[in-house]
Amino acid sequence: MDRENRRWWIAPSILGLALILAIAWGYREYTMRRQLEVTLENNYQRLFFDVKKHVENVQTNLSKAMVANSREQNVLLLSQIMNEAYFAEDKLAQLPVPQSDIAKTQKFLNQAADYSFYLIRTHLDGKPLTNEQRGQLANLQENSAAFNSELSKLQSQLAEKNFVIGSLSNRQTARVEKGNENIFQTTLVDIDKNMAKVPRLIYDGPFADEMIDRKPVGLTGENVSRERAMNIAKEFFGANKVKKINSFEEGEHIDEVAIPSYNFSLQPTNATNDLSVYIGVSRKGGHVIWMRNPRPIGQEKITIEQAQKRAIQFLESKGFKNMEPNYYQKYDGGVLFNFVLTEENVTIYPDLIKVKVALDNGEIVAFDAAQYYSYHHNRNIKQPQLSLEEAKNKLREDFEVNSSRLAIIPKGKDEVMCYEFKGRYMNGEFIIYVNADNGKEEDVLQLVIDENGTLTF
Amino acid sequence: MEGGKSLNRMKNRRKFIILTLVLTLAILVGIFENQNQQASYSKKYLAPRVLYWGSQGEDVKKVQWRLVQWKYLVGEVDGIYGPETYRAVRRFQEKNGLKVDGVVGPETAAALGITLSEAQPASATGLNRQSDEYLLARCIHGEARGEPYIGKVAVAAVVLNRVEHPDFPNTIAGVIYQPLAFTAVADGQINLTPNKDAIRAARDALNGWDPTYGALYYWNPATATSKWIWTRKVTLKIGKHWFGV
Repeated sequence: MDRENRRWWIAPSILGLALILAIAWGYREYTMRRQLEVTLENNYQRLFFDVKKHVENVQTNLSKAMVANSREQNVLLLSQIMNEAYFAEDKLAQLPVPQSDIAKTQKFLNQAADYSFYLIRTHLDGKPLTNEQRGQLANLQENSAAFNSELSKLQSQLAEKNFVIGSLSNRQTARVEKGNENIFQTTLVDIDKNMAKVPRLIYDGPFADEMIDRKPVGLTGENVSRERAMNIAKEFFGANKVKKINSFEEGEHIDEVAIPSYNFSLQPTNATNDLSVYIGVSRKGGHVIWMRNPRPIGQEKITIEQAQKRAIQFLESKGFKNMEPNYYQKYDGGVLFNFVLTEENVTIYPDLIKVKVALDNGEIVAFDAAQYYSYHHNRNIKQPQLSLEEAKNKLREDFEVNSSRLAIIPKGKDEVMCYEFKGRYMNGEFIIYVNADNGKEEDVLQLVIDENGTLTF
Repeated sequence: MEGGKSLNRMKNRRKFIILTLVLTLAILVGIFENQNQQASYSKKYLAPRVLYWGSQGEDVKKVQWRLVQWKYLVGEVDGIYGPETYRAVRRFQEKNGLKVDGVVGPETAAALGITLSEAQPASATGLNRQSDEYLLARCIHGEARGEPYIGKVAVAAVVLNRVEHPDFPNTIAGVIYQPLAFTAVADGQINLTPNKDAIRAARDALNGWDPTYGALYYWNPATATSKWIWTRKVTLKIGKHWFGV
């Protein structure tokens, strides 16, 4: 009797406890999940309201900028527009919607900011707004107004339906889309479609369409066949050192990239494992655009000076004359040198080639001339209007100049000739560029020097 | 008989109460434990200053010096985080019950009795290329672990091309963490510790190598779920990935 009684206790109590345990655990999971969901949703709501507010500010400031007549006022307004547009873009990109649905909206905001910056620069140069620029501002104003009113509508709709933005990132999206109840996403898609119709902004800045679509000017010669390119790649690496060469498969739209190329992976004869060397050869002219040998690098045996000599020899053997090493950086067992072209004692920064030398045996493990071929052309180098002394007078008096020379630097889609002054101010090393024709300070770079090399920022 | 039975029942009841108490305690401990885990879990999401394969400088020297002192490392204190240092750090982590990943983060540094210097030269405050490099390496590791080296650099190049393009956010973190942009970010694989190939690939990409010539998208045709991605123009195929604009 007793024993049976005892047995009767055991099973239900264990089950009961298991149940309590499961309930406790489940409840905990549930509350935690709720908590996370609420936190996430609050964050999304905040982002959305912020985007709305920033776009509103862009719009009102644009209207003001169109009315304002003084340059000072315009510079202030434009700098606010720039800030607000970047904020809006940054926050919009954090909402859980696919990038493809907001790509053109992001572009609109980025370009609005970029364009404002461009206008600030022209203002500071002392130039008044042209009619064309006023027209473009009016256009921006109109589009941001339309954008703003769409967002207002969306905002009230969201409030009405108690829409949870976080539900977009869940896998239920498909179901939501089917019912076409996803006003949030559809509104954003509609806005994006309208943004795609916005006329091209014509200006000079990093996000301008012209900059994005620019074609390389340094590629010369006729188109080459794949076989010919393969031979060029082999010769570049050293034909006797190549065991096997394979070609990467291109897509049908290869012509739409900046430098349409054939890409190869080749196996060196001395490679112990199956590490490949990669080479890209342009279709036009059959130039080697880049080469990379990712082999592991052993114990350091040569110095940086020796490595630099190797790099110069290598460039000369490939037909690049008058290349001058400018900066180097030591990492992963090698040194990466930046070489730029010099012509008539002028350093031409856009024509840049990078060469990396392995410090174990001096082999060239990387070569990159993509930038060189994008910008290299025959330049008509003129005598500068200002003398070195005149340019030097434009600097701060307490800037301690260590060296100076003439250089051509990129400026938007153009290039400008400058006097380059390297020196110290307070505790930092800086490079200052002064326009060689009008004495304007074009750029200031800060040098960061550590034991691994020198880098410009 | 009667008395014995009730005694037994009382014993049973006491047992039951004790058992319940123990189990409740266990549940409580379990929950508490769980919360602790939560805390360390969220720690993983922050990328603090870390030293890893390929790091160089004074901090690496400090680490090496300690490792030599404690006989985990036989060799030179040269300030370069190479294979020897990597293995020594792993040995140290194994012995001291730390996560064995060969990366010196705050915890390993604390166990080594050193602090990783945050200080930069006064004139260079705010410039930190290393954090971009590490984030990019984590993205490569999460997205393209099994790819050939060129495929890893290509993935990083797409991230950098997006930073430069008006259709996308303007920072590396903005591009990588844009919702729904990268699957490795959505499923948390981005938080894995990157291996040395990923770090080297990140450096190569940051130093300008773009094997894709400006691609903005890539996808794996075998696993891509978005219909939209098929509307992109394919320009190049590397490993399992297609690249396009």
